[in-house]
Amino acid sequence: MTVRTAERELIVLEGECPSEDAEMLLQRLLAAPEAVVDLQRCESLHAAVIQVLLAAEPALRLPPADTAVGNWLRAVLLRVITD
Amino acid sequence: MNEFLEQFAIESRELVAQATEGLLRLERAPQDGECLDAVFRAFHTLKGGAGIVKFAAMERAVHAAEDLLSEARTGRREITTALVEGCLASLDQVGQWLDTLAGTGELPEGGNDRAEELIGRLAAIDGHDRKPARSPDVAHRWLVRFRGRHSNCTRAITALRYAPGSDCFYQGEDPVARIGTLPQLLAQELAPVNPWPSLSELDPYTCNLVLMALSASSVDSVRAHMQGHSGECEILELAPTSDSAAAHAGLSPRVREVLHSQLALLMVVSPEQFRGRVSSAGVAAANALRSLRRDDDAQTVRQATDTSLDSKTTAPLSRVLERLLAAEAQVAAGAGVSHAPQTSSPTLRVDAERIDALVRLTGELITAKHALLHTTARAHAEGLALATELKGVSAVFERLIGELQQSILALRVLPLRTVLQRFPRVLRDLSSTLGKAVTLDVDGDHTEADKVIVEMLFEPLLHTLRNAIDHGVEEPSVRIERGKPVVASIQIRAAREGERVVIEVEDDGAGVDIERVRRVAVDRHIATEEELSTMADVQIIDLIFSPGFSTAATVTEMSGRGVGLDAVRTAIERVGGSVSIASRAGYGTCVKFSLPFSVMMTQVMTVEAAGQSFGIPVEALVEILRVPQSEIARVGSAQVLVHRERTIPLVDLASELHGTRERQTESPEAIVALAAVSGEVIALRVDRLGERMEIILKPLEGLLKGMPGITGTTLLGDGRVLLVLDLKEMLA
Repeated sequence: MTVRTAERELIVLEGECPSEDAEMLLQRLLAAPEAVVDLQRCESLHAAVIQVLLAAEPALRLPPADTAVGNWLRAVLLRVITD
Repeated sequence: MNEFLEQFAIESRELVAQATEGLLRLERAPQDGECLDAVFRAFHTLKGGAGIVKFAAMERAVHAAEDLLSEARTGRREITTALVEGCLASLDQVGQWLDTLAGTGELPEGGNDRAEELIGRLAAIDGHDRKPARSPDVAHRWLVRFRGRHSNCTRAITALRYAPGSDCFYQGEDPVARIGTLPQLLAQELAPVNPWPSLSELDPYTCNLVLMALSASSVDSVRAHMQGHSGECEILELAPTSDSAAAHAGLSPRVREVLHSQLALLMVVSPEQFRGRVSSAGVAAANALRSLRRDDDAQTVRQATDTSLDSKTTAPLSRVLERLLAAEAQVAAGAGVSHAPQTSSPTLRVDAERIDALVRLTGELITAKHALLHTTARAHAEGLALATELKGVSAVFERLIGELQQSILALRVLPLRTVLQRFPRVLRDLSSTLGKAVTLDVDGDHTEADKVIVEMLFEPLLHTLRNAIDHGVEEPSVRIERGKPVVASIQIRAAREGERVVIEVEDDGAGVDIERVRRVAVDRHIATEEELSTMADVQIIDLIFSPGFSTAATVTEMSGRGVGLDAVRTAIERVGGSVSIASRAGYGTCVKFSLPFSVMMTQVMTVEAAGQSFGIPVEALVEILRVPQSEIARVGSAQVLVHRERTIPLVDLASELHGTRERQTESPEAIVALAAVSGEVIALRVDRLGERMEIILKPLEGLLKGMPGITGTTLLGDGRVLLVLDLKEMLA
């Protein structure tokens, strides 16, 4: 399992998160809307998981910007255009 | 026909189909640049092929159309109906030439007049619809904004906007991963198609994303990367800047060599060497890239070097180097095939006959398997030492043959697209002939079914479509009166439902006129007034499938011969399918076909007994004998055949059928078929032997259901029903 709740208000996504994780993440976020999502040890996210993050807009903990994953996560998660 | 011409004919047909489909799409969406490119490429390749086989007339005819399309691509000409028609006419001509080629095996002669005629026609379209080059930036407002946000990506030569289908996740598509692995990706963005709903209403598995990307790779390699995507994808070529032109020249051989050797160095690194080797590899690669003014890539390499040093693994850096080299390979490959048709997938074109030969061979193998099982059982019965071992081998053999048969049947699977893609064109002609405007939507054409099924579908579907337009869709004036859109719509939907493939053809016309059906049924003696009065509407509508209902005298222009709807039903039932019709007066008609996904071809030997034909599955047949009457003995109420010192139970088919034990006529010789079922042998006495044939076995239904000793039926070519014996049950 790649989604786990580390403490009450912290959801950790680790490794490669497949599409199945989307449903689980959504449930966790519904249960704890204020939770912070930690992606520091995440290696990749399926588009379905990304959708949940984009829709929920939780606070994120990201890997450093100068790493490939950090760079990628910033590109897909942070720069959202609303037009 | 020599192999060269044969290949030319096959490829040309595919290209004609592609170009036709593209032209029809283009007519509806003239702004679809990608589609225009595809059509242009198809024409270009057709022309090239004609040049190679020295078919000058075709080359010229196609060339003229290609010129028009080329002008349209550069924006000097608009896509008009006249242009589409002109191009379709040249494809029609090519189709006719290919028919001649297929028939005679020779290139058609004297095609020059036809070519001249076409060129004249295409030239007539010339001139009046020229227009100034369109600016892509106006048409693609998103691009202006997107580029504005990434103005630092000067090396970008290709922009992409990808809106995957909302069900793409179910098809195994990960659009984000696909964009993330684009060759020479410089920038990417995601945006929702519709505003995000509240979390509680969010369905994470309905894709609501639009993805945009900039790449330093060519349009062709980006397109190759996007092949097989679902949904809408726009790929645009950006005006090159001097910087990007230099970058597009690709890695020089020298730089490629540097990258390769750094990659090799990173493969074997001991812990002591780690820091030194990773940093020097990173610096060397970054410098090499900078020498080509690829600063973005150099920057990426530097970042990856740092990541590698921090994480104490070489992976991040080697991955970046690999990606750079791989992207380069793709650019090279993309440039090489830029004019190849878009369907160049790694598939093998195999003659259908060869596959059928494999199917036949598998059938023979199955027969051999039964013989082996039979021998094994005998060895077991005789207590031979090898029996157990033999049994083990037979079991393996049996399993492997089962798997072989499955895989071979899977080879014969085709997408319905192969037949459905012909209909937009057919419909266009039909609707203009009949003077009714109709649009056709095809859904689910990727649904697959056995080749036999797919190939037999064309005529029934064509007939259904024609009926829908002819009898279902009202005249335009009537439609306006009834408050319907003037342009009628017909939908073809295909889907797999378990082991069956369901195809629905639905129109929004007037529906079936039940009163008219009643009248015709009475007039043509299909049903009496009395019978009709007891029937439900559904049953009455179903009468249109009865033999003699359709005015078979109407010779359809498309199929070339008159067929009634009863022929449609017969054809569908012959392959084990069914067809039904539902209709709502004033709202339309839906014809539903349900077909088996695969057809099990069974080899049978036909035999005759008491004037009735039966089929015996060939796989069970062991031997056919002519034996003297004296070898048949009576044991109590049963008969046995004494053959090679064995006693085999004998069933006299004619007597069984008549329910008597005595034969009407006694001949000195008896024809006996020996069949083996699960290791036991049974002798069947028959009157006459027929032929061996391949049939599609249908399970028993209706009145025959539950008939003992019969496993299924099939329709013979002459319309008779062949009963196939269930030997297992006969032995019991």
